Order: sequence, then C-alpha cells, then structure tokens
Amino acid sequence: MRRGGPFYAQLGLTVLLCLFIVVPIVMSALAGVTVNVFKGLSSGLTLRWIFEVWDLYAQSILLSLWLAVACLVVTTLAGVPLAYVLVRRPNRLTRMFEEILTLPVAIPGLALALALLITYGGFGSFRSSWVFILIGHVLFTMPFMVRSVAAVMSAMDMKTLEEGAASLGAGFWHRFLHVIVPNATPGILAGALMVVTLSIGEFNLTWMLHTPLTKTLPVGLADSYASMRLEIGSAYTLIFFVLIMPLLIAMQMLANPGKKRRAASQPAEDE
Amino acid sequence: MALQNLGEGRSRPSFSRYFGMSRSAMASPATFMALMAPGVAIVAAFFLIPLVLVAMEVANGPDGWATYLVILTNARYFESLVQTLLMSAGVTVVALILCGIVGMFLVRNRFSGRSVLIGLLTLPLSFPGTVVGFMVIMLAGRQGAVGSISNALIGEKIVFAYEIAGLFIGYLYFSIPRVILAVMASAEKLDPQLEEAARSLGAPRWRVVRDVILPGLMPGLISSGAICFATAMGAFGTAFTLATDIDVLPMVIYTEFTRNANIAVAAALSIALGLITWLCLSAVRFLVGEKADLATRGGA
Amino acid sequence: MNATAMAQPGSQTVQTEKTGGTRIELAGCTKTFPDGTRALLPFDLTINGGETLVLLGPSGCGKTTILRLIAGLEFPDAGGKITFGADDVTSQSIEKRRVGMVFQSYALFPNMTVAENVAYGLKVQKVERRERDERVRAMLEMMHIDMLADRRIDQLSGGQRQRVALARAIALRPRVLLLDEPLTALDAKLRVTLRTEINSLLRKLGITAIYVTHDQEEAMALGDRIVVMQKGAIAQIGTPREIYRAPRSPFVADFVGASNRLDGRIEQNSLVLGDIKIGLEQIGHAVEGGPNGHHDGNTGQGAADVYFRADGLAICTPDQGQMRGRVEAISYLGEKSRLTVSGIGESAITLDVDPDFQIAIGDDIHCRFNPERLTVFGRHSNARNAAQTM
Repeated sequence: MRRGGPFYAQLGLTVLLCLFIVVPIVMSALAGVTVNVFKGLSSGLTLRWIFEVWDLYAQSILLSLWLAVACLVVTTLAGVPLAYVLVRRPNRLTRMFEEILTLPVAIPGLALALALLITYGGFGSFRSSWVFILIGHVLFTMPFMVRSVAAVMSAMDMKTLEEGAASLGAGFWHRFLHVIVPNATPGILAGALMVVTLSIGEFNLTWMLHTPLTKTLPVGLADSYASMRLEIGSAYTLIFFVLIMPLLIAMQMLANPGKKRRAASQPAEDE
Repeated sequence: MALQNLGEGRSRPSFSRYFGMSRSAMASPATFMALMAPGVAIVAAFFLIPLVLVAMEVANGPDGWATYLVILTNARYFESLVQTLLMSAGVTVVALILCGIVGMFLVRNRFSGRSVLIGLLTLPLSFPGTVVGFMVIMLAGRQGAVGSISNALIGEKIVFAYEIAGLFIGYLYFSIPRVILAVMASAEKLDPQLEEAARSLGAPRWRVVRDVILPGLMPGLISSGAICFATAMGAFGTAFTLATDIDVLPMVIYTEFTRNANIAVAAALSIALGLITWLCLSAVRFLVGEKADLATRGGA
Repeated sequence: MNATAMAQPGSQTVQTEKTGGTRIELAGCTKTFPDGTRALLPFDLTINGGETLVLLGPSGCGKTTILRLIAGLEFPDAGGKITFGADDVTSQSIEKRRVGMVFQSYALFPNMTVAENVAYGLKVQKVERRERDERVRAMLEMMHIDMLADRRIDQLSGGQRQRVALARAIALRPRVLLLDEPLTALDAKLRVTLRTEINSLLRKLGITAIYVTHDQEEAMALGDRIVVMQKGAIAQIGTPREIYRAPRSPFVADFVGASNRLDGRIEQNSLVLGDIKIGLEQIGHAVEGGPNGHHDGNTGQGAADVYFRADGLAICTPDQGQMRGRVEAISYLGEKSRLTVSGIGESAITLDVDPDFQIAIGDDIHCRFNPERLTVFGRHSNARNAAQTM
C-alpha cells in the first residue's frame, strides 16, 4: 500500500489523541507509587500509599465489588427474560417498556438520584443500607444488559431454534434454560462485563445516594481527591485502574470477534 | 405469512393481544408476563413512581408549579443552562471532528500497533467523572504534565485544570472513547467499494470524503454526537472534582439540593435537564431512524 | 418394513397403506391468521401410515401452514380436528405430539455438539443415560456422521448439518416425520444425493412422513402421493404419475412443468388449433370438466387451453409439419438442446431437439404435435378455477 503524507498526518493525530488519554493515566499511576510527587520519581518508589489507601478505604472498595456482583445478579435475572420478551414479542407495549427502561441512561444520574431520594429517602433503614445504592445501579445498568442480550438474541434465529426444541418434546422452561440462554451467552457475557464495569465506576448517582456508612469506591475517590494528599489520591486511582482494566480489556476482546477463533471453526465443505 | 406487527391488529386491547398465542404456540401469555414481571416491578417501583413524585415535589416549592419556569426566569440558573449547553455543544463538535478523522483512519488502515491504539483510545469509557477530573489535574494541574513541560521550556508553569479550559479538556477526555467507538462502528459498515467507485469516476480525495465518506458516516456521527452531548449535559463528577468556578447545571442542582436544601428547585432543574437530554436523544432517533448505540454511552 | 411396500414412487399401483406408521387425519381444518388472512381454506386430508406425502406448491400457498398444523406449531380454527391414529391431538402443543421435525434452516442448537443435538430430545424425555448414548450412536452411524459426534455445529457443512437434523428428528422414534423444505439451502448436486438418501431412509424406517417442497422434481422423486397446493387450497392429490400425466387444472399442469400453452377449441370430439385438428381420443389427457372434477376424453364445445412440455412438439420435415416457427434462442443443455420458438402460439414455445441437430437462431423450423403428450382443458370447466375441497 502506498502511504503518503495524509497517512502519517492522520497517524500523528491518532497518536496525539492516544497520548492525551494515556499520559494522565500513567502519571497518576506513577504518582501513586512515588514517595513524594513534588520531588518527582527521584524521591523513589514505594507501596506505602497503596497500603494507606487500603487502610483508609478498604470498606468502600469491598462495598463496590459487592455492589457490582449484586447488581450483576439482579440485572441478569431480570434482564435476560426481559430481553427475550422484547425480541420475541416486538409490539407497541414492549417497545414502550423498552423506551422507559432506557430512560435512566438518557437522563442525568443526578436527576434519577434526586427522584429516588424524594420517594424513598424517608425510609430510614432502607435509605442507609447498601440496597438503596444497588437500586440506583440496577436502574442505570439494566438497559445495557437488556440491549446486549437482545442484540445477540435477535441475531440468532430464536424462533426456529425454539420450535426445534419443542418438536423434540421440550417445554418452555426447558427450552429457555437449555437452548435460549446458552445461545445468548455471548450477549450475557458482554452485558455482564458492562454492568460490572459501570457499577464499579458509577459516581453521579452514588454520590447522592450514599451515606457515611455506604461509601463506594468512586465516592471514596472523590473524597480522597478533595481531602488527601496527591499521592493517596493517585494510589487510590491506581487501585481503581487495576480493578477495572481487566474488565475493559475483556470487553474489548469480546467486542472484536476473534479472527483466530473464526478461522478455527471454518465450516466444512460439502463434497 | 405476513404477521410481524401484532400491535396493528383490530381486536380490542388486551394483554393476550400483545402476548397471545396468535402466531405460534410457543409460550403462553402468562409465561411472557412472568418473564417480564421482575423487570417491570423494578422499573415501576424505583423509576416511574419516583419520577412522578419528583415532578410533583416541585409544586411544594415556594412558587408552586411556577418553579418549573425558574430555569428561564432566574438569571443564575438560566446562565448556567446556557453555559452547560454551550460547553456540551462545543465538546461534541470538537470530539466529532477529532474522532471522525481518527476513527475513519483506524478502520481503513491496517498497521502494527493499530489494535493497541484502539484499546488505549477507548480505555476511559467507564471511568467515573471524578477520575476524569483527576486525569485533568494530572494533565494540567499544579503538578501536571503540561505545567512541567512548560516549566522546562519557558520557565513558567501553565496550569488550567481549574478553569473553563480544564473542564472542557475533561469533557473531551470522556467523550473521545464514546465517539471513537461509534464512528468506527459506522465506518466499518461503509462499503469501501463506494469509495473505489467514486475514485474510478475520477473524484479527487477531498470529493470522495465530501460526497461518499461523510454522508455514509453521517448517521453514526449524529447519533454518537447526541450521546456525547447528552453525557456532557449530565456530567457531574468531573466538575465536582475540578471544583471550578463555572456552574454547570448538574453542579447547580447539587448545590441547591445539598447546601441550600432547596428541593423544589433542584427537582425542577433536574427535570429540565432530563428533558433536554431525552429530547436530544429522541430527536436523533427520529432523524437517523436508529437507536443511538447504548454500548458507547458508558459511565461518567 | 417388507420389501414389497417399497413401491416405486412413480408407479400407478403404489401401495399406499403400509403397516408400521401412524395414520394422520386432518378433518374440517381451516387456518385464519389473527390479521384476518385466510391461510388455508377448509380441507380434509388423510396421510396413510408409513406413507410419504409431499406438499408441493409455490411460496405462500399454505403448504408450510399444513405442516405446522400437523406439527402443533399452529392450531386449526375452531371445528378442525387432527388425529394421529386413534389419538386426537388437535389441542396438543408440539412438545406433546411426538413428531420429528426437520427445519429448512435445520435449527440445530449452536451451543451443543452434534451428539448433544441428537441426544437432546432423549434427554428431555428422560431416557436413561446408557440407552441414550446407545441410541445416539446408532443414529449417527445410520446417518454416516459418527465421526462428527463431537464437532460443533458451526464446523459442519450444509450437507452434514442436514444429516444431523435428520438424525435428531428420528432419534425419538416420532409418530410422524415432518420435513420443511429440508434441501433448499443446499447446492443442486448435493440436493440430489441427499434426496436419494432421504428416500431410502424413509422407506427403511417405514415412518409416516410429510415433506414440504416447492421443487417439482423433489416431490416426484420422494412422494408416494403429492398434494399440489394453490392459494390456501388443495389443487390436486395424486401419485407422482397422476400429477405429472393427468393434472387436474391448468395451474397444476403449469406448476409441474407443462410450461407451453396454446389457445385451442374443442369441436365435435376434436381439438382444433388453427387449421390443425386432432381427435380427442389421441390426446394424452383431456379435461372437459364438470362440477365434480374431471373425466378424461369427454367432449365439449368451446375454447380450450392446451398445455404441453418441451416434448409435446417434435421437429419434422416441412411436408410432415403442422406448423412453422422461428428459432429465437438456443440453450445447449448437454443431452439435449432447448429451443425457444416464436410464431406458433401467442407467446414463445420451448421444445427440445437432439444436441447435434444443426440449427441457428433465426432459422425456420417445422414441427408437429405429439398428441399423447398434450393436456387439454375445456375452458368452461370448473377445473380452470382449480382449487377445490378434497
């Protein structure tokens, strides 16, 4: 291929944009393990800040992980059947419901949190439990699970698969659990990654919904940025990156249908 | 065999009309309703009812229902609305231009390191707004990269993290991954043969871009622009972390609610903000005829 | 199954009542879709035990709907009744009916291996593990796909998928095997091979089978009897030979390949085509038509449609010729050449000649009718309107 000036100009812009994204990430990661940021790397490397963060914020990190898992369970149990209905029964009623379901993503988290607070803020023990935050996370992440599963479901010929299973004697729940759900696994997996990643990182809603006893990881982050020394904020951010990077990388690998995998499963030729 | 749209029938409205056994006997209406029940219950209890209550809460304010107009009548709120709109629109335009070029480039060229570049560019997709704010501090804060470089070069630390420029940079930071993904998705659907056809007819490069590539990318650009705009309108964490002196609307809502306990006004402003973003996304769906891709919405 | 029951599908004296298979009856069935579309007009249909019945017709004729009624994927309108032997299955859903079904797109489960697909129905029926494995193995062997047992579905070729789908459908020993255009997705050569295999399989199993297709040749090759469908109604039921040689209506004639049509008249026991006159007693198949179907060779007066295949006309010397035409196109088909000839009827006529016959486009040719290859429909016959309740 002939690569002229335009190629390198565009490559340059791409690299520049990449640097814009990556430089602060690297800097913050380094700052998290530097003895003294104001003196720079020459002051030496240390894990002290990481341990300090753990001492200060272990609770909020663990709560975030717990919330993400709970959120995943709820969105999967409620979202997969929803996706099935939306794909199998596309009519005015289900489309309207899908629209409503997606609204919590479209409107700012702050507004959603406000609505939840005004409605349920008075129920003291509910208000101060982690379930209150979970609800916000479920509302926000559910559409991602439903869309992701529905996309896979509409790509496969679900109607015929189901008829095939029924012709072999399988009743609805058998078909649903042994044919529909297993074949929707890629969608569920992609949705699950999205849900967990979003839940761990959710701030807009959570900041409004949290109480001093129900701080999540991003709430703690905001707290550390505001009131701790730069190294601690950085170290905390580093922990967040370490948590979230594998999820993001898995998501990207799932999004690119692996060329290797496809090559391995070349359909045979008819002789 | 034409029976796609059950909703267009003539029979009287009933659940069995929507979930009936009309087409085939695969699952009973009761089964469909049981499948939907958990999701419907969650959405009804924790979204629809709160939404109605928050809309009514506004009436409890000092001005009653007129509180809804406060966003237009109160100079501070109105100014904040205009600032937020301008900021979001500006970020959207810049992100579309940058990501349009880069996204198209990444789809149409194969070179080593390409997938690494894509991976890095989409990394901040689910960073919370606070982290994005912190990234801006790392970049342009007092200990930031820009400051260190400028200090070395011209002996002066350039710091702009806490100004409007910093906020803009932050919004751009979380917009880039979303827009890049959307642009690449629609660029991949673009048939390269169209470009080849245009070139075979003698069109110079810029005309190919103007006549073939841009019209082809347009639906993707519009829908990702809408998502970018909507996300920017609602972004709270970044502004919160940077604690700038500009009042973006979400910050105003937050202040009214927590510091001033002005719940009615906060509710009215929230509804206004929600309405703007929702209208924006709906308008795009109407224009482009396809749903803006949620997967690129991410956090923030 | 005994060997005598394996009658030639083409023979007139086909023995339709075989032992071993389930007899299926549809009585007073209609199907109206919720949007008001009438998919099937009222009809009765009996499929004998062990018989292979082919539902043949163009797309949208209702053949698949009949199959789905029998499968239990659709239900007839009120009043219709479906029985499997002595068992009334009208309101039974598909999972209770014990039918085996092969889908056009195969509907193999991508999340399971070949063996798991075949075992699925047995698993649902809670067949004990050891017996299940045994039966799966036997099925795979019978279909010659035992070496593919652990393959994933997306690693199979179209033909292999077809075999898996068949194995899966018959593993449960269903009361009836339903095949919905199972070969349509395959290329022409493989279609013929698999057609032969399915044919011998059906005869070996002695199972009642219903086969939907739009391919006339496939229908002829497979069916003990063929049901030709037109616009939601049965146009004709008969053995392949009856359908081919004695179509009851112009629609059936046209659909089974008699694509040439000429306008004629019937006058005093003769077919009159322009200045040619052919005695009706020489005509292969003439339908004058009364209110209750047809009676061959009867006379009537008035306009008639004459249908014939490419073998209904033969080229001859000018002095023997009954008419003259002009060659518009020549397709060399290997064992023959097919000519498109104008000037004989209103539209062009196709006829076959020896591939070595020297002829060029624009040539004039002389030809004469092959009376026993003609099918004549009196135009006032009811048969013209084809579809009748059987």
